[in-house]
Amino acid sequence: MAEDLVLDTTIRDWVLIPLSVVMVLIGILRYFVSKLIRTFQNPDGKIVKEGQVVIRARNLRSSADFIPPKSFRARRTYYSNEENGILHVPKGQAPNPQAQMFSDPNMAMDMMKKNLSMIIPQTLTFAFVNFFFSGFVAAKIPFPLTQRFRSMLQNGIDLSTVDVSYVSSRSWYFLNLFGLRGLFSLILGEENAMDDTQRMMQMGGFGFDPSKSLGAEKDSLDIVQHDWVLPKFEQRAEAVLRKLAK
Amino acid sequence: MVTKLDETELKRLESQVEHGGGGAWEYLCLVRKLKIRRSDKVLKHGLLILNDPKKRSSIGDEEWTLYEQVAIAAMDCNSLDTARDCINVLSKKFPESKRVGRLEAMLLEAKGCWEEAENAYSSLLEDNPLDQVVHKRKVAMAKAEGDLLKAIECLSKYLKVFMADNDAWRELAEIYVSLQMYKQAAFCYEELILAQPTVPVYHLAYADVLYTLGGLENIQTAKKYYAATIDFTGGKNTRALYGVCLCTAAIGQLAKGRNKDDKEGELHTLAAKVLEKDYKYRAPDKLPLLTSTLKTLKLSS
Amino acid sequence: MAADGISVQKLNGDFNAPFINAENMQNNMKVINYSRTLMSIVGGIIAGILGFTGLTGFIFYFVVMAVTSVGLAAKAKFSIHSYFEGWNRVLLDGFLAGLMSFVLFWTFAYDIVHIF
Repeated sequence: MAEDLVLDTTIRDWVLIPLSVVMVLIGILRYFVSKLIRTFQNPDGKIVKEGQVVIRARNLRSSADFIPPKSFRARRTYYSNEENGILHVPKGQAPNPQAQMFSDPNMAMDMMKKNLSMIIPQTLTFAFVNFFFSGFVAAKIPFPLTQRFRSMLQNGIDLSTVDVSYVSSRSWYFLNLFGLRGLFSLILGEENAMDDTQRMMQMGGFGFDPSKSLGAEKDSLDIVQHDWVLPKFEQRAEAVLRKLAK
Repeated sequence: MVTKLDETELKRLESQVEHGGGGAWEYLCLVRKLKIRRSDKVLKHGLLILNDPKKRSSIGDEEWTLYEQVAIAAMDCNSLDTARDCINVLSKKFPESKRVGRLEAMLLEAKGCWEEAENAYSSLLEDNPLDQVVHKRKVAMAKAEGDLLKAIECLSKYLKVFMADNDAWRELAEIYVSLQMYKQAAFCYEELILAQPTVPVYHLAYADVLYTLGGLENIQTAKKYYAATIDFTGGKNTRALYGVCLCTAAIGQLAKGRNKDDKEGELHTLAAKVLEKDYKYRAPDKLPLLTSTLKTLKLSS
Repeated sequence: MAADGISVQKLNGDFNAPFINAENMQNNMKVINYSRTLMSIVGGIIAGILGFTGLTGFIFYFVVMAVTSVGLAAKAKFSIHSYFEGWNRVLLDGFLAGLMSFVLFWTFAYDIVHIF
């Protein structure tokens, strides 16, 4: 291992601080740009309805115990009978999201906009950082790490003798990318909480499939045990009144 | 939902604005955010801002929102000319806007031109069948015309799509009650209880409906819901206390012939006690009335 | 230090123990996350300025988070169950997410103050 490196203070003034400031500013700029290009589209009637059905079924499931058994049974049949229950999705009719995307250019367009708003600034920032700040040892993390982290922290410096805890400017960019998320959620509000990593995960299983959530809701509704809690309230009310009558 | 914090803030701003202390714009924003009905005040203070070019320009683009808010408030206060002026300004700024179209239709409705308003709303719905406000306007219009059956029809159509809209369920329940269609009303109240199981108002209304429906089973259920209301309100709801007493009396009467194996709790005696205490404290002159009522109830039970 | 993390106002909790008001619950969770993030950033900067390295820094993070948890619990008047789903939520929510911010700001402050 090499002894401590001495870093020039101009690196701090012209690399570390500007880089961090630029990252913050770009993050804020991106937030406002994405706010601008977000389109409001009229939702499809069917999807709205399915969403509402799910909410109502969830209500039924979570507070079923508050209505009389008869009413609960009637509702369950209404939701999940095999012929025309509103939660029942006939087999084979569930729309294929892939096909849906091709048939609806708007959806593809929307996806593309979302992607663009994510990828373009990312690439631009990366190119920017590479162009202005590449090749510096910009920082040192205050805790030791093993050799495995070398490729992660010293991206852009091909020296195997430098201690792993030194961070190259390009890797400092990546650290910022992940670590500033918290700061953004503080200064920009909770809306920003849905960050890139989460968005990327959604890309994998993209396309919200309402019929699936309908089916899941139906299954969980089917196994709900109805246990009317209202009789208990007579005792509770008695207790309350006894306290008052004293 | 209006939280307690909002409420105090609103009261503070309201008194401040009333005494000429400024902050009118903040007050209007809060009213809009909380969706509460203060039409007279909105009209008065909104117009003050709109008629003063300096104040108007200081709120920037929000000016148009204010025009809309004032227009609706003006219609509510039946100063239709003001509303007309506001809408004219808006339609000059945003020609072809659906939102202005909605205001136009509302103005027609406020004037009482039912048919024209109906047509306007229908054409708006054709453009956007999911416009909740227009759906609700149609229901309100049917109610204003006195055609409750049509209001029910519109509401059910609306609820078929937006079935998680509690306010609509509540409206429907109240219409059903006013038409004495208690079974349907009971269904609506059940729906409301499901959506918000901790709101005592719904339990109370549901119990009322069940009690009115009659029949031993229903009244027993009603008593339970009155009990739930008592529990949720901490025994402060007089109506629920009366409800428990009445239900017990009715159950006693209905179950007279049958075996009396089901034990009656002491809920009703407790309720009567609390009622008496309450009356003694708050309305001593009506106490004899209460005691005589309770006596008749107790005699029959 | 704990006080600045929870100066955000909080809605009244659920009004009846066994029933949960989802909206208020969500608001409470938001408050937790907010204070966690704020505390991890502030804690990171403090750790950097004080020049903690290695394990000391991480221990400091744990201490900060523990203080935050105690602060939150104190704000909830120690009746955790009427405000949150349980102790787990108060103690662990936002713990890992905060770590990333903590490391970043720790490094940043440490470098500026001590390395150069």
